[in-house]
Parts: sequence; structure tokens; C-alpha cells
Amino acid sequence: MSQGHHLAYRSGQPLSVVADYVVVGTGAGGSMAALILARAGYQVAMVEAGPWREAKDYPETMLGVMRDVFPDWGANVAVGNSILPIVQGRLVGGGTVINSAIMVRTPDDVLVEWQRDHGLGDLFSHDAVGRVQDEIERELSVEDSKVDAGAHFGRSSQMLLEALQGREMEAHPMRRNVKGCQGSARCLQGCRHGAKQSTQLNWIPEVLERGGTVLSCAPVSRVELKSGRAVGVIGRFVHPQTRVKGAHFAVEARRGVILAASATGTGPLLEASGVRSPALGQYWRAHPGAGVIGVYPDVVDMYKGATQGTASIHHRKDLGLKLESLTLPLELVAGRTGGAGRQLTGRLADIRHQAMWISAVRAEAVGRVKRGLFGAPSVYYRPTQRDLERLRKGVSLLARAHFDQGARSVRPGVVGLPFELGPDQLHLLQQAPLHNRAWTWVLSHLFGGAVIGDDPRRAVVGTDLQVYGVRDLHVVCAAALPTTLGVNPQHTIMAVAWLMAERLANQDRSGYT
Amino acid sequence: MPIRVLNRAISQAISWSLCAIFPDNGPIPGLTRQSTCDRVEQVLQEAPALLILGLVGSWVAFVLAPVVTIGWPVPALLLSNAALDRHASKMASHPWYWLRQPMLMLKTVGGAIWGERPEVRIALGLQPFDSDPGTWRGDFEVQADSSMNNSGPS
Ligand SMILES: Cc1cc2nc3c(=O)[nH]c(=O)nc-3n(C[C@H](O)[C@H](O)[C@H](O)COP(=O)(O)OP(=O)(O)OC[C@H]3O[C@@H](n4cnc5c(N)ncnc54)[C@H](O)[C@@H]3O)c2cc1C
Ligand code: SF4
Repeated sequence: MSQGHHLAYRSGQPLSVVADYVVVGTGAGGSMAALILARAGYQVAMVEAGPWREAKDYPETMLGVMRDVFPDWGANVAVGNSILPIVQGRLVGGGTVINSAIMVRTPDDVLVEWQRDHGLGDLFSHDAVGRVQDEIERELSVEDSKVDAGAHFGRSSQMLLEALQGREMEAHPMRRNVKGCQGSARCLQGCRHGAKQSTQLNWIPEVLERGGTVLSCAPVSRVELKSGRAVGVIGRFVHPQTRVKGAHFAVEARRGVILAASATGTGPLLEASGVRSPALGQYWRAHPGAGVIGVYPDVVDMYKGATQGTASIHHRKDLGLKLESLTLPLELVAGRTGGAGRQLTGRLADIRHQAMWISAVRAEAVGRVKRGLFGAPSVYYRPTQRDLERLRKGVSLLARAHFDQGARSVRPGVVGLPFELGPDQLHLLQQAPLHNRAWTWVLSHLFGGAVIGDDPRRAVVGTDLQVYGVRDLHVVCAAALPTTLGVNPQHTIMAVAWLMAERLANQDRSGYT
Repeated sequence: MPIRVLNRAISQAISWSLCAIFPDNGPIPGLTRQSTCDRVEQVLQEAPALLILGLVGSWVAFVLAPVVTIGWPVPALLLSNAALDRHASKMASHPWYWLRQPMLMLKTVGGAIWGERPEVRIALGLQPFDSDPGTWRGDFEVQADSSMNNSGPS
């Protein structure tokens, strides 16, 4: 009987592993593809840069999160005419460990766009995506957040829901992949209750049960190419705490190499492997977001409730906006609240009266990613004037919604505006400066860098699922998505990865080489 | 100079600026020198060089900026408590982006250290934290489930 192996950091002798497929990255895309291939009977090796952590290993503090969860302590940024922090997870399960568990199906207009502009109709038809998203929802226990769950839903989410519905706008409790969410508002630190169904709890263990191998603490430095074909990957283990380099590893792939190292990792990895394409690293996109805090006369306690409970896509089509409730850890609120000195600590005294709501933009800005200094990704990205205008509209709308709910004041965090605005000062927010540097953006929904499409001048991966010019090399993570979505991306990434892996398995069976 | 001594000196310098950015305010405790210094020292030992460089650069900017923020041509180290407080506050909202950015860097680390302090959390009515385990899973094996087809199609 075969065994599954998890191989963590080690020093000393080089390690070699042979598998049918090697999957690089274990996040939303990688774990999904690995599972489908393992279920099809293939031997799969997954290689992950970060360590495998479970509930008891998750950090409590923000410095712990920076050290144990974020790549390079969260030092990854996108640079354009401002510096925008990029938030990602670097551990087994990738972004699924630290995200808010929101699951939104791929909007039809996105599939139409992919079909019309990128030639992806056959691969990602409405029916095919719908079929696998049904399955994914069943497997990951996706359910509607329950508004009547009281503290488990959270007052901040409840207020946003009421405020938007009161304005006759579409707003809904989020659908999330959780089993018995306790409303601890700590999704970013990893779910200590085991409620969030991140993929290291389900899909990756199943890959092991099917005889697969997982290498953790194992950043891949290069895909090995031989005679125009991907034959494996190489790298060196890195100690998760000291970052000391350990043993070399090599994973030989009999059938193919599947990259799922995220929108910041996959493009640079292809570049390091010698893949050449005019589209490599290009078409990098995001949903930049910014928040507005409402300060209420009564206690809100945003730290009691789901990290994110309410969403609205009312303005998705006309303005490309997504509005959401969000709880950030106190430590992050402290770092991002305006001011310093006694003024700052004074401003944080009312933290239990604060509710944070955010607006994310389906931005039209297009950036690029490449290999930077010491191999870390270097991202160029600059939201456009129109993106800023739309963000400003979203934030203004949320500020108004805060006042509808009885907020005493709002804190938009925009440089050039007063720190705190009252209901009669909303016009100031509507005229807030349209410069990236004035806003406190964050990037957590990232796309592109190795996109799929039918035109090799504009895409890195072809509709036969192979990287143009290299056989048996595939991309199944957010890097492959040719556009933004205007909704939370993990469900789409999973569906795309499922369909691509399924197609690979079927092609193999029908004698495809 | 041994690296440990250098680390301690840098930690002391940085923690001084963090304490100026997160001081006591009435019932809300601020950062205290000794515990902040210990935490910064730990960060310096564990964080990547780029982050340390950013922190040190931000500290230098904080020290040199009073001439721009409050018009005093002296390093921030020599300011009275009241002037230091004014300098910190002006730097955080200064119209020059490249002056605000170093402050943001210091605030990010300072906010993380301040917000995890049990005294602060209790004063704000929030649950104090346990310590970070800093653990991860080592090697393990899983017996393959015989009900699953692992034979492979090849
Ligand atoms: C804080 C936060 C909250 C979010 N909330 C939601 C949400 O609620 N709902 C939603 O739909 N989306 C959410 N997202 C976004 C979502 O998590 C990501 O879009 C998704 O995880 C991306 O999937 P991926 O497979 O492309 O990459 P990831 O999930 O990021 O996985 C990539 C993996 O590859 C690894 N890797 C990178 N380089 C290498 C290398 N060289 N060698 C080996 N391994 C490597 C990384 O360590 C990582 O584990 C959130 C994101 C963040 C950061
Ligand atoms: S809100 Fe808390 S309990 Fe719910 S999924 Fe997130 S971390 Fe887990």
C-alpha cells in the first residue's frame, strides 16, 4: 500500500522525489489542481515555499502573523507613484489560510469577457464553471452567514447590511466556507477554531491519503526545462524561522509541472526558469481597497463577529465597486490611524466604538510583475484616475451609510482631509484628492502575470493549457486569470484550477503528449 | 562591535521613536522603553534585512525631520517631550509623501507592539493574547486510503 509523505525543512543530503505531476504552491489554485489530479489516479507532489501550520501553530499577534504567515514579513509592495502593501499568505494552504473565507461564484459577465476577448469559451463555459463550483461549495461547506447568529455575525456587519438595504441597495450576508464560525474576527491570523475550511485541512490531506507528497519550507527556484519540455523543479529548503538555507531538493515530473505560486510568484518563477514571452509578467491587476471607519456613540465591538459578514455588489457593474464590512486587528488599526504621539493613542481609545467598512475597486489599472532583487517579486502598479474616482465614490457611500446607522463621525484616512468628518462634512470626502498617495490602499486580490489566452502576444499560457513554447508546463493560480473579477477571487481560482486539471487528466487518458 | 551589541543599540534607538509615537494618554497606556526595546530586538533578529533597513532608515528620517515638521533645526533626540509629540504628529500628516512613509513604517511596527501589549488590550476592553507558538508541522506519513484509487492511469 502506498503512503503519503509530508517532508518539511531539512539540512544535509539533497532530496529527490519523482511524481507524475509536480504542483508548485499549495494555495487556492495549487491545492485544487493537485486534488483533481490525485483523484484521477496520478501521483502528485506539491511543493510549498512556506511551512505547514495548523490551528495550534497559528500566531496570535500581528508581529507573529508578519513573521509566520506573510512572505518576507509583509514587506511585499507594489510600487507606482505610491507604495501599496500587498497581503498574501506563505504557508501550506496559501491565501486560503488567512483569507476571510468568502466564496463568490464567477460572474457570468466575466466568463463572457474571457470567451470574447481571450478565446476561453471552451474551457470555462458557464455550465462547466457552475458544475465545479457546485462541487466546491459542497466540499468546502459553503454556507450563507446567518444574520441571526448575533455575535457570530457581528454588529458591524449587521449595521452595514441594514444601512445598505435601507438605501434600497443590494447587500447580503456573505457566503463563506466555514463549519461553525465562532465569530472571532481573526481570519487573518488563521482560524484557531478550525472553522474556516482552508485547504490544508481538507484537500491537501486528501492528496496525501492518495499517496501524494508535500514538500513544505521548500521555495522552488527554477523549473527544469529539457528540449522544450518541463521535467521538474529544483530549489532549496529554507528554515521557516531563521531563514537559513537547508538541503537542495529536486522533484522530477513524469507528466508535467503545474505552477500555482500566485500572481506575484508565478511570473517571476517562469522568468527565472528561462521562459520567454512578451506577455510574461504583464497584465497584472488587482482590486485595490480602502476603508472608512465609523465611530459610534455605543459600543460596536467589531472584534466580535465574522471577520467579514456583509457584502454589496450593487455598484459592481456601473462603478466596479465591492463594499464589505471588515475587522482589522487592533495592531493594524493602530498603524493606519492618522496622527502620532498622544493624539494617536487618544484616537485609538474608542476602538470598541469603531466599525470598519471597505470599498474595493475592480480597477482598470494594469501593472507588471518581474523578478526583483534577490529573487523577490517586484510589482509595478499604479491605480488610474478613474480607479481613484470610483474608490472615492465607494468610500463616500460607506461614510453616508455609517451616518445612516447613527455614527458620530467617520475617519476616511485620506491625507488632506480632516482626520474626522461629521455628517455635515461629507462633501469634503466627495471632493477628496484624487492622488494615490493621499489614500491608504491595500492589495489582497491579485491577478495576472502569466495569463491564459488564445493570442501568444498577449498571453503566456495557451488554450491547450501549456505555456507557449514549453510542453507540459501549466499555470493554475491567480496568475493565469486574464482579467479582474469584481468579486472575491478564490472560488473562481479554484474552479479554473479544477477545470484545467480535469482537462489535463482527460488529455492524458486520450493519449495527449 | 559584536552583532548583539549593535542590535541592542539599534533596538534602543528605534524603541525610543516608537515610544514617542505611542505614548501614554490618560487611561490608555503607551509603549514602555524596556519592553519595546526587547520586542524590537527580537524583530531585528528575525526579520529580513530589507525590513530592518527600512526601519533604520525611517528612524533616521524621524530624527532628522524636526526642521521640516516644526521648523526646529535640531535632531528629534534633543526635543522636549511636548515638542517631540508635536513633531511626531506633524510628520504623520505631513504633505510630503516621502516624509509620511517613514512614519508609516514606524507606526506599523509600533502599532503591532502597542496593540499586543496586555495592559493596552485590557485598558481598551479587549482580550489579551497568548504568546505566539512559532511552531509548524515536521515530517509525517499518511497511510494511503485503500478505498481510493492510487494506482495511476499510466
Ligand atoms: C487577507 C486576505 C483576505 C482574503 N479574503 C478573501 C476571501 O474572503 N475570499 C476570496 O475569495 N479571496 C480572498 N482573498 C484572496 C484569495 O485568498 C487569493 O486570491 C487566493 O488565495 C489566491 O490563490 P492562488 O492559488 O493564486 O495563490 P495563493 O493562495 O497565494 O497560493 C500561492 C502559494 O504559492 C506559494 N509559493 C509562492 N512562490 C513559491 C515558490 N517559488 N515555490 C513554492 N511555493 C511558492 C506561496 O507560499 C503560497 O502558499 C484574500 C486574500 C488575503 C491576503
Ligand atoms: S471569524 Fe473566527 S471563527 Fe470565524 S472563520 Fe474567521 S477565524 Fe474562524
